[in-house]
Amino acid sequence: MNANSPLLLVGVGGAGSAIAHGVSRAFGESMRYVLADTDASSSRPGAPFILLGGDRLSGHGSGGDVVQARLAAEDSLKSFESALEGVRLAVIVTSLGGGTGGGATLEIVKHFDKRGVATIVFATLPFAFEGDERIRRARGLQSMISEASNSAVYVSLDKLIGDVDQMDLAMRRAVDTLASAVTLFWRILAKPGYIRLDPERVRKIVAKAGRGRFATVNVQGPNRSADAVDALARSPLLAAATGPVRSILCGILAGEDLRLSEVGCIAEGVRDAFGRRASFDLATVNDEETFTGRISVVVLLFESGEESDDADDEKAYPGGKRPSKRTKNPLAQGPQGRGRFNNVEPTVWNGEDLDVPAFIRRNITLDV
Amino acid sequence: MTNIYAALEIGTTRTVLAVGEANTGERLKISCHAEINSSGVRKSQILDINQATQSIKSVLREVERKQSLTGDKLDIGNAFLVVSGQHIKADPYQGTAPVEGSKVSDNDIDEVVDSSRRLALPKDRELLDIVDQAYGLDSLGAIASPKGLSGRILKLNTLHIHADANRINDARTAAAEAHLELREPLFATTCAADAVLDEAERRDGTLVIDFGGGSTGYAVYIDKYLVYANVIGVGGDHVTNDIAYAFQTTQSQADALKRTEACAVLGADRSASARVQVKGATPLIDKRTVSRRALDTVVNLRMKELMAIIRDSLEERDLLHRLQSGVVMTGGGAAMRGLDTLIQRELGLPVRTGRPIHVDGMADVEAPASFAAVAGALMFAHRNYERKPLISSLFKGLFK
Repeated sequence: MNANSPLLLVGVGGAGSAIAHGVSRAFGESMRYVLADTDASSSRPGAPFILLGGDRLSGHGSGGDVVQARLAAEDSLKSFESALEGVRLAVIVTSLGGGTGGGATLEIVKHFDKRGVATIVFATLPFAFEGDERIRRARGLQSMISEASNSAVYVSLDKLIGDVDQMDLAMRRAVDTLASAVTLFWRILAKPGYIRLDPERVRKIVAKAGRGRFATVNVQGPNRSADAVDALARSPLLAAATGPVRSILCGILAGEDLRLSEVGCIAEGVRDAFGRRASFDLATVNDEETFTGRISVVVLLFESGEESDDADDEKAYPGGKRPSKRTKNPLAQGPQGRGRFNNVEPTVWNGEDLDVPAFIRRNITLDV
Repeated sequence: MTNIYAALEIGTTRTVLAVGEANTGERLKISCHAEINSSGVRKSQILDINQATQSIKSVLREVERKQSLTGDKLDIGNAFLVVSGQHIKADPYQGTAPVEGSKVSDNDIDEVVDSSRRLALPKDRELLDIVDQAYGLDSLGAIASPKGLSGRILKLNTLHIHADANRINDARTAAAEAHLELREPLFATTCAADAVLDEAERRDGTLVIDFGGGSTGYAVYIDKYLVYANVIGVGGDHVTNDIAYAFQTTQSQADALKRTEACAVLGADRSASARVQVKGATPLIDKRTVSRRALDTVVNLRMKELMAIIRDSLEERDLLHRLQSGVVMTGGGAAMRGLDTLIQRELGLPVRTGRPIHVDGMADVEAPASFAAVAGALMFAHRNYERKPLISSLFKGLFK
């Protein structure tokens, strides 16, 4: 493990620890990471592990109790001190819906913030079949984690697995997809290509990013750059916009055969698809061993950050749609009609933002 | 000795200050109250300390002005804070204690009460209240007084009501800037319930819904105990916002439409083609009209959804069918036209609008339901502090 890396991967909770451990093993020795859970059985041989709330819960887990998990994390925050030495950016992987993933992550993120460590949280949301209660709990935690962290990316497990039905394949796909986004930060720094981002720029991007979403595509063949853009534009993982895209981080992972025209095609295509007004950061990763003959493109879209000066471009909005004159009116209510509730904590119930007028969410057309 | 108390509610739409007074052991009388439009508050949370401070200063001045008209001078130095908002949670917690000997003694009861107070809250939560429910003894439940009963393990069920400490601190900061010290924060919904429910309603099962501007709180009383409470971050402001968005009006125009024209039910007596006038923002802007049916539809969808959320949460806890005394509405939103009918339809329960029945001085108040929470807070103060005067400088009769 590279103890001098400014990046730290943290897996929180049972699922978060499992994903983080899998990612670290797949990436290799240079990844600095730590796992944390209230359940002692989440520890892995040889992996750094912090038992949260050992005195309180005796390593038996939080029993799905978010409050207990928060208290357990509070008890153990000092245990992170050595893991945080020299760290500038922490990538936290967790799963919401149970107890520890959401509850402990919230406290850990707050603690990291106090220590001056920027945080980006990748959190999975429960499958629909797991029931309303878990989904409601996860939604409730989302807003708190978003507020506490520098940036947060939420993705439902239903979307992560796509149309794969077989259980083990589906879970592998979920972990692989998540890993591709999580490891982007390490790849950018560990194996930079000709277009580079230094650690402080990566930290700065994350520090202002806010709520985000991501997708990754793997393509090969003569039209691979155009195919990549097309696949990204159609990705359901990037579709759930709640507001304009403010910043884009795009990573192109390839071997020595990457052409300049391909980089240009992907960069232009991504900006066209997701917003020319958004600030745009691009990095290439040169990994001959892994990517020769194919390209992997990882795109993270965020809803905060600095806008570019290209304010009049039609493609500055999700789906390339400029808001109608109705929302440009001085009486405009903001995205989705939240109006006076913009910039306040949303009221979420069963996955719906109740600040948005009920008639809009029910698709009721009014004869005004 | 006359005891004086004050209660402050910094709501989303209005800031209310009420003063109550009572002789020791006597019934409380609300001697003075005032309300002004709030600013700097959204969804029951202060977003601008300066604006909130100005609201508090204004309402303080108004109360002191009103009081001076009676020839009394009142210097309000502190007040109980009435709190609402979706950050408030009520968590059940059970205390347990082994019974020493064969029968439950006073010591055992003290032990279980002590045990029921041990729920540790995260640092960012502030406890508002611990409400005791029934005792349990081994497999027996619903015991009001366990003393003398035989058993092994004594239990006490409680509800711990707690709030986001930062939100409370914001209120304290705003009040301090207005030279007002805030005493205990109190949960608006249970305060309102204390003011409007009678003994029979508490016993037979009643749902109190407190309709605020930024949130809606509700509490269930069964067998004289508060058994469940919750707050949803949807209130009258949402209805206003929905109307403003639907008809492209200003918030103040939408608020006027809500108060004077809108109805929560789509009634047969309201013509489908009828139109209502939107008052112009300025005299230079032409007045226009909107469809009454569309206006009612916007409001109906919002309030129906709110009732569905409440209904689902009560059904989930097996409480809905136990509400034999029905629903009591409080808060400023209770005045909405057709809301009682809507609730009756959605919950299948009789509905009435609550008014503070345990205090005097509310007879000439136009919308007493909107003062239920502060009335309940003053009752709390009188119950717990009647021998400890709270307002330092009182010169009653000085100018008579």
